[in-house]
Amino acid sequence: MTTAGADLVPATRNALSLLLLSMADDEFVIGFSDSEWTGIAPLLEEDVAMSSLAQDELGHAQALYRLLADVVADGRDADAIAFDRPPEGYYHARLLDHPRGDWAHTIARRFLYDTADAVRLEALANSSFVPLREVVDKVRREERYHVMHVTTWFERLAGSGGEARGRLLDALEQMGPDAGTVLSPLPTELALEMAAIVAAPLAELEARWRASLAPTFARFDLPPLPPTRDPDRARTNHSDAFRWLHGEFTSVRQLDRGATW
Amino acid sequence: MTDPISLEPILSSRERGRLLFNEDLPHDGRYAAFEEHILAGGKIEAGDWMPDEYRQGVLRFVEMHANSELMGVLPEREWILRAPTLRRKLALTAKVQDEVGHAQLLYRVAEDLGKSRGQMIEDLLAGKTKFHNVFHYPTRSWADVGVIAWLVDAAAIVAQQALRDSSYAPYARTMRKICWEESVHIMHGRDVVVTMVNGTQAQRDMVQEALDRWWGPLMQMHGPRSDRARDRDIYWRIKAKTSEELRQEFLSIYVPRVWELGLTLPDPELRRDREDGVWHYSEPDWQELRTVVTNHGPRSQERLAFRRENWADTAWVRAIVLGARGAAA
Amino acid sequence: MTEHGSYLPPAGESAGDGALLEPFEVFRQEKEGDAMRHGGSVMAPDGELAVHYAREMYGRRQESIRLWVVRRSDIRELDDPDLLQPPLDRSFKKPGGYVMRDKLAAARERSGQEKPSGGRPRSAPPPTRKSHEG
Repeated sequence: MTTAGADLVPATRNALSLLLLSMADDEFVIGFSDSEWTGIAPLLEEDVAMSSLAQDELGHAQALYRLLADVVADGRDADAIAFDRPPEGYYHARLLDHPRGDWAHTIARRFLYDTADAVRLEALANSSFVPLREVVDKVRREERYHVMHVTTWFERLAGSGGEARGRLLDALEQMGPDAGTVLSPLPTELALEMAAIVAAPLAELEARWRASLAPTFARFDLPPLPPTRDPDRARTNHSDAFRWLHGEFTSVRQLDRGATW
Repeated sequence: MTDPISLEPILSSRERGRLLFNEDLPHDGRYAAFEEHILAGGKIEAGDWMPDEYRQGVLRFVEMHANSELMGVLPEREWILRAPTLRRKLALTAKVQDEVGHAQLLYRVAEDLGKSRGQMIEDLLAGKTKFHNVFHYPTRSWADVGVIAWLVDAAAIVAQQALRDSSYAPYARTMRKICWEESVHIMHGRDVVVTMVNGTQAQRDMVQEALDRWWGPLMQMHGPRSDRARDRDIYWRIKAKTSEELRQEFLSIYVPRVWELGLTLPDPELRRDREDGVWHYSEPDWQELRTVVTNHGPRSQERLAFRRENWADTAWVRAIVLGARGAAA
Repeated sequence: MTEHGSYLPPAGESAGDGALLEPFEVFRQEKEGDAMRHGGSVMAPDGELAVHYAREMYGRRQESIRLWVVRRSDIRELDDPDLLQPPLDRSFKKPGGYVMRDKLAAARERSGQEKPSGGRPRSAPPPTRKSHEG
């Protein structure tokens, strides 16, 4: 079986690897904070729903890590890429470094992430890189439910007034400056556009995403999101909370890297 | 009743096949008809008339089961974070999700008997109602995850399979769905254990250590021996098997499967009688069981406190969907 | 219609704490061509979330291809035995009312013919109409 992307020039392959890593790490890390609600969500039925969302993200991460392993072809499998890096080696968006927080924080973060991710996926839907297109097609179909579900909750919180709305406003204020990090430009993305792997520059996708949120924000009288803080480090300099998380999620695996679990 | 132009049925209600106890009759008559119906293998639905003893018996049984599913999530959820591969993480997340789903199914059954979900959760958190012993213990390693998913779930499924023909039909139907879902958990747990047993010595040691710790609680899980003739839950056909029958069934299936992996169990008395096939074992520590299920186990208070805190923290969310009264913590 | 003994509990009993959560019954179709079958119920504040929760409880494992989600209070139940199990003979409406074994045996004996097996006997005329008898 030929390595996926073997026929790509090195510059393109490197850019693709970085894109895949960013997406896979995003899905991997958001899965953690969501699964923290397992067993303790506000409503039993909602507990099950949040868990499905977390599992979907993990499944997406797995598919993307596998694709990345194929592209990079350095002997690592998906698990090795997912688990065997130091904290500074993770490339997820800073939005996802925020801890779980209360229900409003979780819904706000999910809403911001899922809507941005939807724009990103759409720009990859006709990617010239077929293996990616195939993964994206499946992921988009699953993500539809995510957007439906978190939008329902976002609107419920925004429209309910009182404490619920107050908490949502707090969450948006805290995470607003980091919301755009999902779509901040990647250092090597030009190669992706030139190879038609992605349909548009990330800056354009970010603008499109912000515009798509405007009607909802207007309807619920929410303050518009500020521009992204420190966009050059959108995916680096992770928080202490993430360092702690890293310690936890590697704790069993690092007992014996060579072992099969 | 005495309206001259009403159409009287031609045949009596019994011959019409109507459930006699649902007729508007004096209590003793209804009770007798109900009893006859149950003893003949008849089923009861949520809207049927029930004697208080039956209603309370089912409710208590189902409520404890629901509580156990909900509390059972807590020992395992921290390992979702630490699962060492993507596939194991997915499997464990799905398993724990199923436990929450089972809690939902069981609370639904109990709610339809007349006790609100909010009240049941508050009673659990206030220590007024119980949950099964195994969920009061700590988990110490990844091997615990395998042992719990395999053997604790197996012990549970042995009990649950025996409930699939419960006289209370909504519960019986729920058990069928739950048994179907639980079978996957057992496979996942066994896979984790077997993988480790086939791995490094350190992994094997981890499994053995976990097994040594969990065997006591597992043997206590089905409860002390009871007299079938005096068991009201059996009388009303809410459940079909005694504690000892369940324990014997569990031992028969699972002890050989543990031994075949080269693992040992910390009970020198444990053996199957060659003549009558009955398993002999050291008497489980019933005092420990009593202490634990009254919320004095190693993790009982910590887990209840954790839940109480979360229940309070999320009250505002329930207020949106429930209205202020339902949200009260 | 129903007087006592419903499959469903009386409305409002499960919403004991004055909740705005209501039970919604979920029906599911497992594979193409199957009838919709009752699966269970979910609690939800409205139809929209009820559908999401029904998907979670009865469809997250790809075990259903279709779900119907219905407010319990919208279900009209009939379980009156006078209507559903009326006592007088109705065998003329059911296959069991047409056991003809003895009559057929008598007719064959009269006509001197065997009971037909798989193929058509050469001497018998071809059937002019397709037979739909059991």
